[in-house]
Amino acid sequence: MTPPSAVSEAIFGLSPLLVSLTIFVLTYAVIVTEKINRSVVALLGAGLMIFAGVLNQAEAFHGIDLNTISLLTGMMVIVAITQKSGVFQYVAVKAAKVVKADPWGLLVMLSVVTALFSALLDNVTTVLLIAPVTLLITDALRISPYPYLFSVIFASNIGGTSTLIGDPPNIMIGSATGLTFNDFLFNLGPVVAVVMALTLIPIYFIWGRKLSASAEDRALVMAFNERQSITDSRLLKQALFVIALVITGFVLAHSIGQEPGTIAMFGAALLLLLRVYDKQAEDQSHAIHHTFGEVEWITIFFFIGLFVVVAGIEKAGALDFMAHKIVEWTGGDFTITTYAILWVSAVLSSVVDNIPFVATMIPVIQSMSGTFTPQQIETLWWSLSLGACLGGNGTLVGASANLVVAGLAERAGQPIRFLPFMLMAFPLMLASIAVSSVYLWLRYL
Amino acid sequence: MTLRAITLLPEPICVSPDTSLLETLHLMLERRVNHIPVCDGGIWAGLVDINDILYELLPVSARVEHGLKDLRFVGDGVALIASHFKDLANKPVREVELHDLPTLDEDTPLLEAALLLHRHVAPLPVLDANGKFKGMLSRRTLLAHLIKKAGN
Repeated sequence: MTPPSAVSEAIFGLSPLLVSLTIFVLTYAVIVTEKINRSVVALLGAGLMIFAGVLNQAEAFHGIDLNTISLLTGMMVIVAITQKSGVFQYVAVKAAKVVKADPWGLLVMLSVVTALFSALLDNVTTVLLIAPVTLLITDALRISPYPYLFSVIFASNIGGTSTLIGDPPNIMIGSATGLTFNDFLFNLGPVVAVVMALTLIPIYFIWGRKLSASAEDRALVMAFNERQSITDSRLLKQALFVIALVITGFVLAHSIGQEPGTIAMFGAALLLLLRVYDKQAEDQSHAIHHTFGEVEWITIFFFIGLFVVVAGIEKAGALDFMAHKIVEWTGGDFTITTYAILWVSAVLSSVVDNIPFVATMIPVIQSMSGTFTPQQIETLWWSLSLGACLGGNGTLVGASANLVVAGLAERAGQPIRFLPFMLMAFPLMLASIAVSSVYLWLRYL
Repeated sequence: MTLRAITLLPEPICVSPDTSLLETLHLMLERRVNHIPVCDGGIWAGLVDINDILYELLPVSARVEHGLKDLRFVGDGVALIASHFKDLANKPVREVELHDLPTLDEDTPLLEAALLLHRHVAPLPVLDANGKFKGMLSRRTLLAHLIKKAGN
């Protein structure tokens, strides 16, 4: 058992607060410039925290939230396998046909489908599944894909806010606080549904009412056979079975005394079993190796490094300090603190990655437990979640899903430029935060 | 034995980089070839493959990285392709990826030419001493010559 390091001194006898903050700011700054892959930066920052004597390895490891890591990894495996069944494409095409390929109906349906998928899967995967089909359908209907891609971006961030598993900030908050899948759904579901519906209104006025497609083009889309998208129905049944099991697990987690990380990992292992049990050893190896290869390791290692870096500044006392400063500044007023967290999180999340921000804010809010009641602290979590998740809609760099769609759009010859997007998106995002403010007022304040 | 010994195609056609893809496609179909050389003022500029033209007809959503993996659900979809034909008429050859191929000249030994042809699976350009385009050497042309020489 490694003895804990002395808190009073870091490398060269410097103050740990100074050293840890320097490493933290440097790490963060390099990540923001995007010159170097963020997983590498995070891991280097983590290593420096340990070498600089702020933490020892045991404390660093303790700071890594394995519940979040295993939940993310488990879901990534499940989604990677499910994707191969073609079910997402099936749903998107079916949705288009349900509205008879009417352009506005299509936009609403694709947004709703994206929001629903985002609530259960991570946002980047969702848009990677929906955006190409969207491009094909708009190509066939000979309409501009821009309004659709814009709505898909918004829907993915909005939908992801509503559940524990929908967006990494929620996973992290749930993990640190013990708030359950049901807690997130009951507390954030309502406001998310309202925000989604309200967001479609300006989209209708700006683009929706001008969208039109000829009868022949719509007939072409109606002739799409979505059943052909299902390439492997055995795989589909297995995947849907495991997903249903896992979601049920999340819903019941609290009452059966289990955690989402375990549920997700077990689900992933179960689905892998179903996929390989009848294969030879070598084929099993090959299939599993391939599936593990589909996990977003860059994201996972980014989280690992980040957790250690944040653990470093937390141990050095920086976050306690920040918490006290915030309480001082808001005068300990609960309402002001709630709104401050909501609005500041939203604006910051629209320009910087919300994951490091939330990772930093969690210990800060936890430190406020001296000033506020547990009931009030819970409200602060909802405030943080809404701000961090919905804020991602503000600019193209606000969320990874936005950048993925922009990249796809660019390669498809229909680029989404930073400024035009922001001019529409930022006000819409602020409106969604205003709606959230009203919701928080009505329900908690 | 060098390439000097082989008679190349009678009139080597070479389109300019501004020729439209549609026109180039017509040429390919007329001459029953899968490749057309591109020259800029007589100087070799690259090769257009019929596969590149086919690629332009595919929906963009299937062409991009992370795009659609299969198009079975689209069914017939001829109307989708048909609408891309007008893009072909508007796109010049220079906007399509012109293959970067090794060039041959009249002093290239036949054996080296054979090896390069095999490696690149495309006809290769033959240039004269001044770098001007003389013609294309296809596998058929080379093999026809070799089969005669070997007395088969």
